[in-house]
Amino acid sequence: MKLYDYVLSPSCYKVRLMAALIGVKLEIRPVDFHPGAEHLGPELMALNPAGSIPILEDGDLILTESTAMLAYLAAKAAPEWLGSGAPEETARIQQWLSFSHRLTASLGGARLHEMLLRPGDIAALQAQGIAALRELEAGLVEQGLRGMRFLASDRPTIADIACFPYVALAPDGGILLDPYPAIRLWSRAIRGLDDFIEMPGIHRLHELNPEPQIEPGAA
Amino acid sequence: MPARIPAGPIALWRSQAGHAVASADRCPHRGMRLSHGFVRGEALSCIYHGWSYGKTGNCLRIPAHPSLTPPETIRVATHDVEESDGIIWIALGQPAARPPRFEGLVPLRSLTVNANVAAVEAAAGAKADPEGLVSPSQHPQEIRLLLAPQDDQTLIHVLLDDKSSPSRRIAASRTAESLRRMAEDLQAKVQAS
Repeated sequence: MKLYDYVLSPSCYKVRLMAALIGVKLEIRPVDFHPGAEHLGPELMALNPAGSIPILEDGDLILTESTAMLAYLAAKAAPEWLGSGAPEETARIQQWLSFSHRLTASLGGARLHEMLLRPGDIAALQAQGIAALRELEAGLVEQGLRGMRFLASDRPTIADIACFPYVALAPDGGILLDPYPAIRLWSRAIRGLDDFIEMPGIHRLHELNPEPQIEPGAA
Repeated sequence: MPARIPAGPIALWRSQAGHAVASADRCPHRGMRLSHGFVRGEALSCIYHGWSYGKTGNCLRIPAHPSLTPPETIRVATHDVEESDGIIWIALGQPAARPPRFEGLVPLRSLTVNANVAAVEAAAGAKADPEGLVSPSQHPQEIRLLLAPQDDQTLIHVLLDDKSSPSRRIAASRTAESLRRMAEDLQAKVQAS
């Protein structure tokens, strides 16, 4: 399974993270997204005429939507990440998967504007991002009152992985995460999962690592 | 977690033994926010170079100098903290009195509103009582609000009857979201006029 990947892309990270969490090995094909704009070159446009990354290739299956990639990886290796099949849970997973595109457009748009100087109305992108974060916060508060730590269930699903990266990187777009205590707890729950992997700007929980002990004089 | 009090930003953290501590949100070493840090045992460590601080603010450990006992002069300011019925109170200076108790109420959640206290009270249709609680006129039985002004924003702590069912609690959370929208609309109208 080959992933056309860019290390700083939150959407690519979703797929790398999902694969790591469920123990699927990916062949990583790095794409020079910036500054080379390789995703708009003939080789990648032939795979994905939309000119976006990530792209996941498995035999003659070519996926260009990260949520579809999450569903594919989970269905192949760890179907419990697709939910239990209970109607409410199924609906919540679909709700948050669709919602994740709003995070990409708002928080991701603000991040591209601030990091790569892409054009855009930064005030409007940030306002839309804050509106989306408030919805997510309210949703997580309600889940907490139902006794559940994750977006659709008491265990993580593909919906959590679809929403997590752009939220965690919101400060890159000038949007503070300080006002959202439920998002903070949820982020910590995801970052504390076994086999969690990092990307630049998103680190695992330090307190889970053993305290490094340096012998005096060893350095 | 990061929080704000009138004295400035703080890192509010809970030690492994369960003590809540309010430390200034700035590592004296390089100025990094301590709320980006992490708690191990009874210490809060800075994410940048790992300097760690105890509950009274003294520096306990500097990882780059493992054999050094940090001098007493390296410390972060801390504030007295009192926890009662699920609410953490932080004193500015020496506490003059014990914080109020809210019998029969439990905290639900805290929301930041882009509006001042007057706009929140106008949206609620009620003013704070002597203990600081607002009972919104449309929902007097449903929720109580405890308001904390933060510069041009207001932090709303939502409380409700401690016997409320989960579905009542979810409804109360949605009511608080509506009140926030109303308060922000009112504030925007005031600023536009």
